[in-house]
Amino acid sequence: MAKTTYYIPVGPIHPALKEPIRVEAEVEGEKIVKVDVKRGFAHRGIEYMGMKRNAIQTLYLSERICGICSISHPYAFVIGSEKALGIEAPPRAQYIRTIIAELERIHSHILWLGVIAHEIGFDPLLFWTWKGREKVLDILEAITGNRINYAMYMIGGVRRDLKESHIKALRDMITYYWEFTEHMKEVFLSDPVYKARTRGVAQLSKEMALKLNVVGPTARAAGIRMDVRQDIPYDAYADMDVKAIVPQDIVGEARGDAYDITMVRLYEIEQSLDIIEFCLDNLPEGKILAIPNYVALLNKIKKTEGEAIGAHEAPRGEVIHYLKYDGTRDGPAVWKVIAPSYNNINSWAPLLLGAEVADIPVVVAYIDPCMCCNDRVAVVEDSSGRLLDYSYLHKKAVEKTRKLEKELGVRR
Amino acid sequence: MTPETIFYAIGMPIIGVLLGLVYKGIDRRVSARMTSRIGPPIRQPFWDVGKLLLKETVVPENAVRWIFNAMPILAFASSMTLLLYIPFGILRAPLEGYGDLVVILYLLTLQALAMAIGGFASGSPFSSVGAQREMVLMMSYEMPFAIVITGFALIYKSFSLSTIASTPVWSIVGPLGGLGVLLLLIAFLWVTPAELAKLPFDIAEAETEIAEGMLAEYSGRNLALFYLSDAVRGFAMIALEVVLFFPFTLSYLFGLNLSGAALYIAEGLWFLFKVLVLYILAVTLVRTSFARFRIEQASRIFWVYVNIIALLGVILIWAEVM
Amino acid sequence: MPTKAMFLMIKQMLQRPFTNPFPVKHAPKDVTSLVEKIQKGEVKIHPPVPVPEGFRGKLHYDPERCIGCRLCITVCPANAMEWIPELRKIRHYVSRCMFCALCVDVCPGKKFPGEEKAVKALSMSDEFLIADYDKYSDNLIEEPPEAKEKGI
Repeated sequence: MAKTTYYIPVGPIHPALKEPIRVEAEVEGEKIVKVDVKRGFAHRGIEYMGMKRNAIQTLYLSERICGICSISHPYAFVIGSEKALGIEAPPRAQYIRTIIAELERIHSHILWLGVIAHEIGFDPLLFWTWKGREKVLDILEAITGNRINYAMYMIGGVRRDLKESHIKALRDMITYYWEFTEHMKEVFLSDPVYKARTRGVAQLSKEMALKLNVVGPTARAAGIRMDVRQDIPYDAYADMDVKAIVPQDIVGEARGDAYDITMVRLYEIEQSLDIIEFCLDNLPEGKILAIPNYVALLNKIKKTEGEAIGAHEAPRGEVIHYLKYDGTRDGPAVWKVIAPSYNNINSWAPLLLGAEVADIPVVVAYIDPCMCCNDRVAVVEDSSGRLLDYSYLHKKAVEKTRKLEKELGVRR
Repeated sequence: MTPETIFYAIGMPIIGVLLGLVYKGIDRRVSARMTSRIGPPIRQPFWDVGKLLLKETVVPENAVRWIFNAMPILAFASSMTLLLYIPFGILRAPLEGYGDLVVILYLLTLQALAMAIGGFASGSPFSSVGAQREMVLMMSYEMPFAIVITGFALIYKSFSLSTIASTPVWSIVGPLGGLGVLLLLIAFLWVTPAELAKLPFDIAEAETEIAEGMLAEYSGRNLALFYLSDAVRGFAMIALEVVLFFPFTLSYLFGLNLSGAALYIAEGLWFLFKVLVLYILAVTLVRTSFARFRIEQASRIFWVYVNIIALLGVILIWAEVM
Repeated sequence: MPTKAMFLMIKQMLQRPFTNPFPVKHAPKDVTSLVEKIQKGEVKIHPPVPVPEGFRGKLHYDPERCIGCRLCITVCPANAMEWIPELRKIRHYVSRCMFCALCVDVCPGKKFPGEEKAVKALSMSDEFLIADYDKYSDNLIEEPPEAKEKGI
């Protein structure tokens, strides 16, 4: 019998993927009949590194967990740390933190809109949306000093204050984005080809979403009203009424497909604009750091014994940091990170089964995956299936580095 | 062999490749400007071809070597032959009298077929899926294309392109036939991006889905030949469209009384200008403002909607001619 | 079939390109000769997008003001600071730096006689074009001049 199925490897390096992960698909013509998702290509041992450093260093390490949510992980970290330490950030700092987090949500969602357009071959829209995204990045650069990796948060407050000029620029930006989002809605939601490519693709029912435990916009597109900002409000979110954006509120029914998730993300940009406007209107005066001296802060951490969980609604879903201070060192004794993509990637395999090859990029992109947030453990086996332990791998790595250095003549 | 034949045999491919690459450069530049970018210089396609020719040609281990290497040459040869059948403005086609519209249809098909066979022969799953898609797509868009050509044969009672080029189609049809020709034009505009493997119908080469599909394994000289045949095919296809639907010459429009070399130069430039405008409208603008369809959606579009449009056009023409 | 996206693209074609053509509009034929020409002043390059006030660029280190408190080494998340025990000063490797400016926040600085406030030894400049072939090149290491002279 002739071979009727092809084996298509998508990843770890593939144009549809921006980060390494592997989707192995058996296809029959265009239909996918068997699928397997393999993760673990981006493990960096970042939690282990964090447990060797002091809390301030770990905070900035956590900013490097994800390339795009560079404020989501620190946010969860500072909330957890503040709970464990029993301190509270000054009100002004809380509002500034919320503003920065919402600015990040705007830029992340616009980034996603560009990526999904690129995945279905609509590169001109990618260029257009990212052109519009420059504005929020400029604002972030002006406020924090960098386009990404803002280095803005500190346990017990923020490091930089909002100036009058920043507030004026923020108000300009809000006007600009109301118009731009309106335009984006028209272009994305009315485009016939966009609709043809996303309607019914990656369709996740409410039951399925609950079973797979998806979070963030993926769950909201399926009609589940969940949002950390609404369920366990923190910082300035507690002062306002944040409601989860679900498609049934917008068009009446939730189908949970890639078209619905586009809608949810577009409306969340507007929600973020509202939140920023609220924060600017009600921005309290006062200091911005609970403990301005970092050495005093580290000393306090060293004397603290306690554990806490910090949760934040990142653009992709809830991010959770578990922290434990044991009172002997000035950093976390245990640090555990749960990123939203970890839950959301679970939805790939059931969604891809029975779909077409052409749907792979859409399914892969619709949750806005972040592979480098995911990998927490790496297990290495040799060819016979024996587990290799840490010391052996380290020895091998050192040997390889020395060999390469010798070959290349690297100066040490 | 007369000196004229030798001139055509050597001159036409050079001119064709040159024009094809220049149009490709303009296309990339305009597309970049539409997306708020600066874009590459117009000579960029020439640099690309030059670079590809310098690079090593890699043949995959489990490819069928001779088919894999022969298909780019076949595609290039057929695109070169295609050029010899297309009348440039008032210049007559070099191979006039040796073939007609049906030959053009087959030569265009041959290139797509060569790419598909090359894809199958390269032994990579991405190429195989791409080649399958190309076959399905080809079966879909050839039908409306053939209907359009039949419509023209009905009007002129001939398949010869020179006959068609000599008299503008709009001047010999009545109002009913005119409407039919308009419908044919719409069908033809749909076929164009599919025939040239451009968005929204570049399904066989979908970058984010199957990593350039049929061309995934091609490199070096082989890829350069495919690149060149693609450039020439783009120019030839649009030139064909101009000959069929917009054959108005300068002297016909403005009643100019030129003769000799001046006439040929003016008409040649006018023809190239018409091709440029149509290229930007039918290829650049379309490929910039659409996303890629799925293969079964593209199939449905051609088999149902475009076919209906084309058939309606032919029926209208038939009603008038009979 | 005209769509909203089509009108958008036509509209964008009539506008100026958004790209900032830094440093030159198209890739040059020969980069080395272009760099030489720029250094001689024959060719002008397009400037990069200006940075805002408070931008965190390359770290600037003033050894005169350094009191050797080692606070920057304590907080530096990237371990970019090296302690030089002989001089009681630090050496900063820009290639390891992650530009968080925590060291600038903690630096106490030193007050010279006649000054009212202490001036920090570490400060963020707005220099960001610091690419180099060698991560140990002079441009990428900030250290007291004596350290280089004595070869410590």
